[in-house]
Amino acid sequence: MKPTENIEEFVRLEKPHVTTGETIDKRTLNDSFAAMDETVRANKTSAVGIILRSRAAKLAAAAVIILAIGLLAIQFGPSEQEPSETRNVAKSPADMLSVMSLNMAYRRGGIEAVDDLSNEAFEMLGSQPANVSIRELLAESNGV
Amino acid sequence: MAVSLIGRADLTIDEKILVWRFNRGSKDALKMIYEKYKDDLLGLAITLLRDRSLAEDVVHDVFVAFAGTTGSFYLSGKLKGYLSTCVANGARDRNRLRSRRNLGLEAAEAMHCDSGDPIEHVIDSEQSGRLTQLLGRVVYEQREVIVLHLHQGMRFKEIAAALGISINTVQSRYRYGLDKLRSIMNSMVTK
Repeated sequence: MKPTENIEEFVRLEKPHVTTGETIDKRTLNDSFAAMDETVRANKTSAVGIILRSRAAKLAAAAVIILAIGLLAIQFGPSEQEPSETRNVAKSPADMLSVMSLNMAYRRGGIEAVDDLSNEAFEMLGSQPANVSIRELLAESNGV
Repeated sequence: MAVSLIGRADLTIDEKILVWRFNRGSKDALKMIYEKYKDDLLGLAITLLRDRSLAEDVVHDVFVAFAGTTGSFYLSGKLKGYLSTCVANGARDRNRLRSRRNLGLEAAEAMHCDSGDPIEHVIDSEQSGRLTQLLGRVVYEQREVIVLHLHQGMRFKEIAAALGISINTVQSRYRYGLDKLRSIMNSMVTK
């Protein structure tokens, strides 16, 4: 065996075998538990602190709160809103078929809207004959 | 139940599970870690400082600081290596403080005799006195490397990383330390 190995072996074999006393065990464990509790408390409060300090977290928290309020409002709000009564303003068929009304209807829904408006006006008039021949229609439109 | 668990800690509970539980605030896990390593760490501190009361303070401070890392503790190597490094760092700080206060080794030993339990002191002296006395004559930095390598089973690479020095420095300190120890022993034999 080399001299270096001898020394190494000696140091290994002479490793001190000591035991801690009961008093130091108790003191160390008590202080360690206290430090642990302190850290756990600090971690909990720091989560709230992060939200309060960070702008992004603030916005996220605000969004979550608004979303929650919205969901609650939907959940506990009125189930079905009564359809608001709309007053139908009586219009005369002549008003309905004026150039301005037809123009507005065309802008709103194209030729179909003009057609619907016309049909509505004709229904209000109720004067169209059940059967109209082409000749009568042409005569009517040509003013003959 | 807790006592039996502590008794079988080496056999049944993996170190990583212990650390995992510790990180979740388990006091039982912290107690198990303490019970498992306390004697070994105290032995290391006594060998480095040659003062039982100072060594106990170092071990106490290391465990209190360790407990404060719950929830964020990350273990990359072995727990024993980590705690040994903490004790070595704590012992170095105490040693520096003691040197600044101009307390010589003899004064420190006198303090030891006065403050410690006499029975424990006698037992410890009988069991570890020879080596502690011999290592006390080796430079602190060399003693630190020798003890961490031969008693705590740390590799030179781990010691270098833990102490923040190069591996070559660790190896040279180790070699010079052993040479010094050998020369001390030779001189004792020739006397």
